[in-house]
Amino acid sequence: MTGLYTRWALILGATLLLAILTYQHYQQHLSTLSMGTLLSSPPVTQPVRIQGMVKSGTLQGDVEQGQATFEFVDGAASLAVEYQGPPLENIRELKTLVLIGRWDNQAQIFRARDTALINNFGFVAAAYLISVLALGWMVFAMSQRVMVLFKEIKESKLYEPEADSLGHKE
Amino acid sequence: MINRIIRQIQRYKGWFGGGAALCIFLGLYIGLLASPPDYYQGELVRIMYVHVPLAHTSTLAYSVLFFGSIWYLWKRDPLVDNMCQASASICALFTSLALITGSIWAKPTWNTWWTWDPRLVSFTVLLLILGGYIMLRRLVDDPVQGGRYAAILAIVGGIDLPIIKFSVEWWRTLHQPMSFSTRGVSISEDILVPLTLMSIGCWLLFAYMVMVRTQILYLTDLLHAKKGRFLSQTHFSQTTP
Amino acid sequence: MPFFKTIRWVVWKDLISEWRTRETMSSMLFFALIVILVFSFSFSMDQDAARQLIAGIIWVAFTFTGIIGLGKSFTSELQNDCLESLQMCPAPKGAIYLGKVAANFLFMLSVEILLFPLFVLFFNLDVIEAVGTLLIIFFLATLGLSSVGTLFSALTVQIRAREVMLPVLLLPLAVPVMIAAVEATRGALSGDPFSFYSQWIQLLIIFDIIFTVVSFWLFEFILDS
Repeated sequence: MTGLYTRWALILGATLLLAILTYQHYQQHLSTLSMGTLLSSPPVTQPVRIQGMVKSGTLQGDVEQGQATFEFVDGAASLAVEYQGPPLENIRELKTLVLIGRWDNQAQIFRARDTALINNFGFVAAAYLISVLALGWMVFAMSQRVMVLFKEIKESKLYEPEADSLGHKE
Repeated sequence: MINRIIRQIQRYKGWFGGGAALCIFLGLYIGLLASPPDYYQGELVRIMYVHVPLAHTSTLAYSVLFFGSIWYLWKRDPLVDNMCQASASICALFTSLALITGSIWAKPTWNTWWTWDPRLVSFTVLLLILGGYIMLRRLVDDPVQGGRYAAILAIVGGIDLPIIKFSVEWWRTLHQPMSFSTRGVSISEDILVPLTLMSIGCWLLFAYMVMVRTQILYLTDLLHAKKGRFLSQTHFSQTTP
Repeated sequence: MPFFKTIRWVVWKDLISEWRTRETMSSMLFFALIVILVFSFSFSMDQDAARQLIAGIIWVAFTFTGIIGLGKSFTSELQNDCLESLQMCPAPKGAIYLGKVAANFLFMLSVEILLFPLFVLFFNLDVIEAVGTLLIIFFLATLGLSSVGTLFSALTVQIRAREVMLPVLLLPLAVPVMIAAVEATRGALSGDPFSFYSQWIQLLIIFDIIFTVVSFWLFEFILDS
């Protein structure tokens, strides 16, 4: 039963690896940049994801053909967007969504290529963390208890009736 | 006979644990990283990969408890009683996790943490019954009597649960038409692969946990017996003339 | 002792001891009155609100009152070791169960029938056409509550914290009875045609049959030791 802790170290390592991989995946492919960061230090080559709202009264172009221009706002900051990509089925004014594309610093225009749904990674992460941690902790506690019990049984002495005050055995 | 089966299973429990770990890690990897997001729900669909297997497993756990209880009342095998006790507490764990993850999923999807959805209500009632079961176990001094009473509760609850689910569903559809259904969307292959892997993983994990927990209860009884603290009424009446 | 004679004697015994002490019925009645008062304080109701809520209030009051009666049903057997005499009695255990169910059913139903006019009075209900259906609903729901409740009353009587454990174990299992009784009562009180809520009455009948049979079978395991 000395293998218990090695086994659990392996499982813990695998879980951590998975968590790190997921976090990297999230950082690279799913996290959104705030508009302020984009404007102050624009990454030139990488496509970025920004979240915001279509400003009312600015949506123009042929949405079904996948071409549109509009202003995109996030709090105080705003951007001019030129969209060219897959047909936009469910875009409308005042809709909050995530745009994927490049920031053109010279023209001061965000050239979007695709859209995505707003992400709620907090919820996903919470659900996974709660279930994995609770289950893992339970299984670990149970295996440890088995080990302790085995040891205790081995060490405990067989029952002998105690002598009472008169010296008689029960 | 069941004794021998359980002992055989105990011997190979490592395989169950290993299989569960493998399936769950693979399922987590595919569910979190390799599978694409859902068209309607986006990344939120990933919560389903933990929530649905947990819910399935808790119904499996209750069926084990139900049939085990019938078996115990019939044959009075203490090891089966231990198994029932083990699966009840593990069922409670799985049910509460399913409720918590369901609630986390409901917040961004339905914009509320809690709604009187039929499935949610029947799982809550299941949790209440299990809570009563665990409390009942602790409140009876004589373990043999406690096992019998708990088995009776589990059997009545097992027969009642389908009726509860049915009546709650009826009640909700009467008051508010089912505006949201998760089963309406046909399940694509992308969803099916991680879901199946996680389900199998959770079933194996449940089997493994039941075995370990049964072992714990059995060993605790053994320890008490060895220390002479086996205070069962029947044991007492047999040893003292 | 033959089966039906045992049932009759158990019912007779409970009725006589109730007649001599009048403990169960009076405590149930007073408790129910207090529940009605608390409800009318906590929701200051006008006529419309009363019609919406009354079915629920009636059944909450009836269920909690019933639990008091069910708890008393076996705790009264603890005095003078009557429970052990019941265990050792050379009669079929199922007959004892059915006798106890019948006695509890009679107590609960008579309290309900005594209380219902008070509900009508306090909440200005209009019930003249619905009395027949309401009686059927009361009959079926009370039978369901007492069949499961008697089993759990016998089960909790021998454990610690029995007063708490009876409702804790019984109420989750009685969810279908509660839902069906409330819905059917609401339908009957609002004057809907019978076909609107007959499904709930069917549910009550199914529940009664299933749980009387199941509890009848399981009761043997409670009293044997």
